[in-house]
Amino acid sequence: MRLGIVRGHVVLNPAVPAFAGKTLVVLEPVTMDNLRAGNGKGGGKALVAVDELGAGKGQIVAFTEGREAANPFWPNSVPVDAYCSMIVDSISIQP
Amino acid sequence: MFLARIEGTVVATVKHSTLDGCRFLIAQRLEADGTAAAEPIVIVDWLGAASGATVLVSTDGDIARSRLGNTTPARLVVVGIVDGK
Repeated sequence: MRLGIVRGHVVLNPAVPAFAGKTLVVLEPVTMDNLRAGNGKGGGKALVAVDELGAGKGQIVAFTEGREAANPFWPNSVPVDAYCSMIVDSISIQP
Repeated sequence: MFLARIEGTVVATVKHSTLDGCRFLIAQRLEADGTAAAEPIVIVDWLGAASGATVLVSTDGDIARSRLGNTTPARLVVVGIVDGK
């Protein structure tokens, strides 16, 4: 998983049936420099992920990429390649 | 698979239900010359890797699925701690 800051939501109309009712968030991946600085900046290339946790704007989530991102919808086959797996409470980095 | 250096720990109360009880570490992927990637990663650890340790990370979710079930989104797992690092 990588870390991303929630920058907003995406609403689709129309969308493929597999996306009906799914919440989509725009994520900005966070670099280690920005994470250490705690400056609220991301620095990575934005992507869209499915969110079932209710992540809000500005929160940091850890998101899964690749085939595993569709696992939560098993045994259904869905075209999902990014999934918010957790909302980060805190990160403790050794100096 | 790739090598990564453990930088710290991640705490998350709200997460996918299959991830309850897992230990999550923050790590940086290492290049061949030892430099670290720009973006950190969050990995599952069942081996007890300490901060500063170099670990082998697998990107295959099979281990996670066998332990956490078919619906788990866990993918990056520590599969070994590099000896002496």
